[in-house]
Amino acid sequence: MTIADTAPAASAAVPRALDGAISRFVDAESRRMRRKRLTNRVLATSFGLFVLLVWHVATEAGFVHKLIIPSPIDTFWATGRVMSAAYFWPNVSVTLQEIFWGFLFGLSSGAILGISVAMFEPVRATIYPYLVALQAPPKIVLAPIFITWFGFDQASKIAIAVVMSFFPMFLNTLTGMTSVDPNAVKLMRSLTAGRWKTFRYLLLPNALPIMMAGVKLCWTLAVLGVIVGEFVGASAGIGYLIYAMNFQLDIAGVFSLIILLSLFTLFVYQFIEWLESRIVFWKQL
Amino acid sequence: MTASLIEGRNVSKVYATATAPLVALSDVSFGIEEGEFVSLVGPSGCGKSTLLSILGGLEERTDGTLVLDGKHHDAPRADIGMMFQTSVLFPWRTVRENVLLPGIILGLERKQQEARCAELLSMVGLDGFGERYPSELSGGMRQRVGLARLLAHDPRVLLMDEPFGALDEFTRETMNIELLRIWERTRKTVIFVTHNIGEAVFLSDRVFVMTPRPGRLEGIVEIDLPRPRRTDVMRDPRYAELVFEIRGMLGVDH
Repeated sequence: MTIADTAPAASAAVPRALDGAISRFVDAESRRMRRKRLTNRVLATSFGLFVLLVWHVATEAGFVHKLIIPSPIDTFWATGRVMSAAYFWPNVSVTLQEIFWGFLFGLSSGAILGISVAMFEPVRATIYPYLVALQAPPKIVLAPIFITWFGFDQASKIAIAVVMSFFPMFLNTLTGMTSVDPNAVKLMRSLTAGRWKTFRYLLLPNALPIMMAGVKLCWTLAVLGVIVGEFVGASAGIGYLIYAMNFQLDIAGVFSLIILLSLFTLFVYQFIEWLESRIVFWKQL
Repeated sequence: MTASLIEGRNVSKVYATATAPLVALSDVSFGIEEGEFVSLVGPSGCGKSTLLSILGGLEERTDGTLVLDGKHHDAPRADIGMMFQTSVLFPWRTVRENVLLPGIILGLERKQQEARCAELLSMVGLDGFGERYPSELSGGMRQRVGLARLLAHDPRVLLMDEPFGALDEFTRETMNIELLRIWERTRKTVIFVTHNIGEAVFLSDRVFVMTPRPGRLEGIVEIDLPRPRRTDVMRDPRYAELVFEIRGMLGVDH
């Protein structure tokens, strides 16, 4: 919303005859918006239902063997079976811990190193070339080595998650810290602000929107890293369960775990988006 | 000669470029008195912004001497305020918080700053806008906030780098009138960069005319129009004369 320079004088002077026309217009506009939102929701929902129906018909009618793709109903029952099994929660807890620590370490190391590289010239000169070089290979190639180094337990999965989620956080922080209006920097200098005050009052808040985008990437990659790590070698965890069930041809069980994992990831992702809207509120103004 | 508030002697600035060194400012000498309104006018590349940055202590000069208030001057000082072509308001701070920023950075007393902020906002015609965010304001209003922030820590010298250059003609004129009104009340030393000759004549006591390649101070024009000035000064034949004198010095009338 922008207020024109002349706004205060104009606002009171709407002729009465126009008043009715304006409120009729506003009503019609909001009706149109509501209808549009409803139509969009109906479209999305019916597409989802359609896909479910195709899935259901294809599997129940035997076009695809149920062993290869279980039907929606089978998947539903499998979800109940998996969630009530004794092995479920201990494995969930293992994976959640790995994700939590991987995300936390990846996030904080990325942010701290990004800030350091942006703020301190010697740090940039020393480590930046290596970080750029390390960014090139897909981090997944490290998974087998990390299992060798850190063992079958949680440490190796956390390490993979850290390595995977570190880079987007690091790069986004660095980008945020350096993409700053040169005039704003001049302003701070002219006010005799030192390094710390420039960081506190300008560089950090200026970087927050891009950093929050990094946090979201960081989250999805931490989950990915942990699951991949459990695929490569683990004795517990959701990735391990998926791998084992797949091996036993319990595809319905696999489906249910994938759905549960997706719901969880999505839920946290939306929580981060909500946090983002709080932290960088000025982007929504 | 008597010492001016700001004195430059043979100030030069050379930039290293990939090909040849670029002389941005060549042998500029001048004196600026306390309370004076001086404009730097010239086309792009005449070194006016460079000179302003040097005056602000933001850029090093390659050669020459610069004295402010009897002391050598080559670093930012709290008693110099700067304003730019863009308002450079921080979007995460409200209007009030933006105006309070200089005081916070300089560690000035909070209560006093709050009172001054309210006073300044009302002076620039933004009463009741303190809790708004910059994105809710028009371009002209943002520069008004910039003006209030410029004055927040009560600097002695105001350096303004084309502050109204991005505004439309009508808003610019309103802002010029506003600036004059504020200047007449506060009598700060103002150094105002612009490429608009009419604006420079309307505002200034003296106009420094600068020409490019290399950036030089071509001459200084005394603006002997009466003060306080209102827009009707532009109808004064002397106004037109001065504008054309400066145009002649810049070689715009071929």
